Amino acid sequence: MNNKIPNFVKTNQFGLLILVIVFICIFSFSTDGFTSRFNIYALSRVVALDIMIGLAMMVVILTGGLNLSLGALGVSAAMFGGWCMESMGIPISLTIILVLAFGSFLGWINGFVTVRTGVHSFIVTLATMSIYFGFMTLLTEAEAFRKLPEAFTDFGSLKLFNKYISPLLIISVLTCFVLYYIFKYTDIGRKLIAAGANPDAAELSGISVDRMFIYCHMLSGFLAALAGIMLTARIGAAIPSMAGHLGFDWLLPAFLAPVLGGTLLSGGKVTVFGTMLGAILVTLINNGLYLIDVGEFWVRFFLGIILLGAVLLDRAREYFTVKNSIVS
Amino acid sequence: MSDYILELNNITKNFPGVKALDNANFKLKKKSIHALLGENGAGKSTLIKIITGVYNQNEGKLFLNNQEKSFSSPNEAMNAGISVVHQERNLIRRFSVGENLMLTNLPKNNLGLIDYNTVAKESKKWLDIMELDIDPNTIVSDLTVAKMQLCEIAKALSLESKILLLDEPTSSLSPQDTKNLFALLKRLVAEQDVSIVFVSHKLEEVFEICDEVTVLRDGKNACESEQITNLNRQKLVKLMIGRDEQIIKSKKDIDFTDENLLDLQSINTDLGHKNINLNLKKGEILGLYGLVGAGRTELIKCVLGLDKINSGQILLNNKEIKIKSPKDALEKYKIGYISEDRKKEGLILMHDVLSNAGITVWSNLKKILSFLNDRIVYNKVDPYVKQLEVKTPSYQQIVSNLSGGNQQKISVAKWLASGTDILFIDEPTVGIDIKTKSYLHELIIELSLKGTSIILITSDMPEMISLADRIITMKDFKVVGETINNHSYEEMSSSIMRNIHE
Repeated sequence: MNNKIPNFVKTNQFGLLILVIVFICIFSFSTDGFTSRFNIYALSRVVALDIMIGLAMMVVILTGGLNLSLGALGVSAAMFGGWCMESMGIPISLTIILVLAFGSFLGWINGFVTVRTGVHSFIVTLATMSIYFGFMTLLTEAEAFRKLPEAFTDFGSLKLFNKYISPLLIISVLTCFVLYYIFKYTDIGRKLIAAGANPDAAELSGISVDRMFIYCHMLSGFLAALAGIMLTARIGAAIPSMAGHLGFDWLLPAFLAPVLGGTLLSGGKVTVFGTMLGAILVTLINNGLYLIDVGEFWVRFFLGIILLGAVLLDRAREYFTVKNSIVS
Repeated sequence: MSDYILELNNITKNFPGVKALDNANFKLKKKSIHALLGENGAGKSTLIKIITGVYNQNEGKLFLNNQEKSFSSPNEAMNAGISVVHQERNLIRRFSVGENLMLTNLPKNNLGLIDYNTVAKESKKWLDIMELDIDPNTIVSDLTVAKMQLCEIAKALSLESKILLLDEPTSSLSPQDTKNLFALLKRLVAEQDVSIVFVSHKLEEVFEICDEVTVLRDGKNACESEQITNLNRQKLVKLMIGRDEQIIKSKKDIDFTDENLLDLQSINTDLGHKNINLNLKKGEILGLYGLVGAGRTELIKCVLGLDKINSGQILLNNKEIKIKSPKDALEKYKIGYISEDRKKEGLILMHDVLSNAGITVWSNLKKILSFLNDRIVYNKVDPYVKQLEVKTPSYQQIVSNLSGGNQQKISVAKWLASGTDILFIDEPTVGIDIKTKSYLHELIIELSLKGTSIILITSDMPEMISLADRIITMKDFKVVGETINNHSYEEMSSSIMRNIHE
């Protein structure tokens, strides 16, 4: 009957793409300056971060879990990077490697404790969120690192493509491609998804589920640390409160992007490009509402409503079984 | 026709892609014990679920006491006097017997609090009717399995049930408990005006206790309310499976004096296995028989490293091995396990055919930097999926959309693809159609002829006697007997039952 309609049209991502276009149209007509070079550049800097945060949450949602420590972890890694560069004088490239390793290590702690105790990652990461953030505040005495190397902060304010796009966005999009490749074309990616979909069946099929879950948490830590570095470059300083208290400011976009994108909360299905589109949609709405000048509280109100809607969508998806491919 | 307390006429029930019931009839006489028989997938459980209001039929009518009824929930059926006693216990284990019995209608005192004296008194009444010597204040988890079963029947009686559906009530009972249960059932029918629907795989029991038999096959009546006196075992089996009972004899001679391929020596486990000794020869099908709860699946899971082995050793080719996980078993020792529960443990239902069939071989197929694409996996698993004649529109089909038989074939295919030397096969034919079943039987024999060594767990006695070369009987987490199979049903089944009940 409907095999003339290309499969892509029936996917969740296509719906998202339409929504993104609709919102772009609405905001272009209803606000001044939405399409201005300045605003698009600002958008690209924000969306880059939202994508990265969304991906960091997505890889843990894949296991059927959550990573509430995402923001605290990202900021801790960023502060560690600031300390490396400012206090220790470690070169930028080495610092980035150290920060990513540090983020992966914090993610490993999340994963290890989750797997070993069998407690839901919701509880584990709720605890580590507090621990990471508390420890970080203690060590830095809540002081920021503001004297970062110029080469580093310049990168954050670099403007590409006729000064429309931030290089940070390119990093995020590249990360999407790498993750897509991992999930679609590698043995390990397939195993991560299988373990998330049905741990018992995966274990009995010869997959070490515990190890896969730990990998997911490490990947989450890695991506959160990368987001932390990107935010530091964007602001030009590493500030303890840059993701809000306990990193709360990251949580809403972190959930919204993957859930809007079509990642199943019960695990076993990832949508890398869906998450990207989800992040773009969230950033657009956020930005557009500010331009319309509805006020901070209304923005939060709308984002909350969208999250609830997205969760309902997630339920519906589970009912009408997942007919799309596992990785998209 | 006031003879019948319950009457189902021309019931049809469709599920997506399957006709579970096709014009089926079922008539239950007042004060009778009626056997409802049929193979797995024949439609028994669907019929029971229609009677108890879990499902609604697409066509056909249900009469209770000659009045047309249609139940929209199990609760309605229960209020109309129909109760099911399930295979799985439906008692709340941490509550007392009395609380469980009175649960739906707990007596309250003036303050609105539960009146425990009345609870005890009321429930005692029902226990007395059943001549059960149980204190209503006993906590359910302290009772034996048999007592729990009886409590459940008491609970059904306390709801003033006139129709009792017993689903495999004896599967975990000892012969003595079974005898007591049957005496009780006969008394209930005679004294309490109760009618009973009896579902069991044990044909001996049907002949012992039932008055009439209805057999379902592929959703249709193979016979309807036949007097038990007109039937014998052969006739009944023929009605159930549609042909004479065939015992496929595997034509091979295992030399039982050969070296052991796999050898379990005095294994004690965390789960309670005591001093398990068993060995497996190359190319042998070793059967593990036992009642539900005998610890067979659990033993296999301990061997696979999922639960702890406290003492004893496992030898493979006379070398001691330590299996830490199923991954270890597969990759280091080429041992695989086909789970009894394909939906929960065998397959990833939400994923497609290709990733389910290929999951065991990904590790072997990966290229540099762990690269792996669908084409590589497809080339590897396609021959096995074809060999098993899996019916699927494509490899991208989500497995949950396939029929039970095809799902089972996929969970077998992935282990064929993995090329293991030893396969543990757990209840391979539960809930699948007869054709696939005999197909899988042939496949298992063929596998063993090609040199794969198999440990087969099945609770299906004919299946066990068709396939196994040697049968180990387990009971209460212990090995209680070992018999070389001579493929004669009568001899083997009585010898196995003797092992279990002594």
